[in-house]
Amino acid sequence: MITTTALTKSYQDIPVVRDVSLRCEPGTITGFLGANGAGKSTTLKMTVGLVRPDRGTATVDGRPFVELPNPTRVVGLLLDASAMHPGRSGRSTLTIAAHMAGVHPSRVEHLLDLVGLTHAAEQRVGTYSLGMRQRLGIAQALIGDPAALILDEPANGLDPEGIAWMRTLLRHFADRGGTVLLSSHLLHEVQATADHLAVISGGEIVAAGRLEDLLVSSTIVVRSPDLVALAAALDAARIDYVAGSGDALTVDVAGGRVTTELLASVARDHQVLLTELRQSEANGLEQLFFSLTGVDVSSRQQAAA
Amino acid sequence: MSTSLAPQTFDLEAAHRGPSSIPFSRLVAVEWIKATDTRAARWLLALVALSTAAVTLVPVVSPTGFEQTHAGYLRVAAFGLTILLPVVTLLLFTGEWSQRSVMTTFTQEPRRIRVVNAKLAVSLLLGTGGAVFGGMLATAGLVVASASGRALEADLSVGVVVSYLVFVLLNVLAAVALGAVLQHSGAAIAASFALPASVALLGKASTLVSEWIDMSTPWNWVLENDWGGHLPQITVSVLFWVVAPLAAGIIRTTRRDVG
Repeated sequence: MITTTALTKSYQDIPVVRDVSLRCEPGTITGFLGANGAGKSTTLKMTVGLVRPDRGTATVDGRPFVELPNPTRVVGLLLDASAMHPGRSGRSTLTIAAHMAGVHPSRVEHLLDLVGLTHAAEQRVGTYSLGMRQRLGIAQALIGDPAALILDEPANGLDPEGIAWMRTLLRHFADRGGTVLLSSHLLHEVQATADHLAVISGGEIVAAGRLEDLLVSSTIVVRSPDLVALAAALDAARIDYVAGSGDALTVDVAGGRVTTELLASVARDHQVLLTELRQSEANGLEQLFFSLTGVDVSSRQQAAA
Repeated sequence: MSTSLAPQTFDLEAAHRGPSSIPFSRLVAVEWIKATDTRAARWLLALVALSTAAVTLVPVVSPTGFEQTHAGYLRVAAFGLTILLPVVTLLLFTGEWSQRSVMTTFTQEPRRIRVVNAKLAVSLLLGTGGAVFGGMLATAGLVVASASGRALEADLSVGVVVSYLVFVLLNVLAAVALGAVLQHSGAAIAASFALPASVALLGKASTLVSEWIDMSTPWNWVLENDWGGHLPQITVSVLFWVVAPLAAGIIRTTRRDVG
């Protein structure tokens, strides 16, 4: 279990993280999604005591990280795969971590095999590619057989095969009751890996919850040749809407209260002709994320098509 | 490559009871490994050995310029040691900031003061090891010198040997303190050479500086086992070069955000 409560940090009076509260339960993978510079890394570093928060607290396994007697036995960390001594071999790096954690040295060989680095174990880390360092970092995170993992952009530098491998690894880890918190700036990466999500923008959490809830379309498109009559009908029924493209309105589902069925009956009651009535294709999460990161959804969809 | 971890589920109860704190001896062992296991570290240690050996040779080949006494040879070895050995120990305190591996170290043991203490212990071990090595070189030099038929005054005492060790360790600690404060290898190495030199220059203008602060006077009293009447000056210079910067370094290390 990993929690943060109202973590807040400013650098030179510029707020970097504001009131970030997260809750990661055992058996789940929480994706921490945000653009570069949104405050993800600072939040994770505050969680593990590398950066002091101005306000707020964080706990791992019920205790502040800095009070864990031997943290690598409780939570495995991969914060920056390039922050390793380049002059040490992969095996030496893991051996030191195993020694520090107080686990049997045989775990080093097991983990080298697990992350596919046995052939490169004697090479110096300075000669590793970013993907290899990322694998070594994951092995280092797992060395103390922890029940939780905190990973900052673990997919960086991994090839598609490596990303698929990591997803399976994390899924198995969570399925055994482990807690995973991982950050990413890529929506599709988080969608494919996580089951819970927290979206951060400008240092603040703007959306959080179960992935499937967040992925549910949050708007309905209603089209009519007589927009004025449609708007009047919606006003009368106290349904919020905004102008959509062309002669359409976009209606908020208001947490499920407003459905296509309700809208159809409102139109019938007010004798408004509808030419289109459907759930918006772009899901709410995508709209939210791309509006935050400045990428236009429709242009992306065109590019994808 | 596989994705299977261990088959069992987590024993959360056991995780709660938790393994106990990391024993200090283990922290020291890990810091010792980190100080000595890389190619760069071994080259540096070889250079320390080489430069000390070269300096210790000087009184052997130049009998007229140097005191031909046992203590004199030991003092020359001490000067040889203090050229590079302090740099090796200084790097223990700066290297991890430069490599950014502090991120790993301070999450393995978040009580940073314990890591600092372990690094101090390793520095003192390296300093003591260096002093023993220097003593062996001085002895070898004495053997060669006496084999060449020179008369050497045997003036060694426990006091001389202890003073020699204290001198070497003080030099190590002064460098370590700079490393702990500056947390940057290049800046700390430059400062460890430039600061004593500048203070020595100031000492030429003021006897207050030369007798109370400048390393070359009070610390020479230490090396020469000449403590009598000099304890206040020695204490002040140790406060200036070791205690104050080390305290500042510990405070900065324990508080600094790791970016």
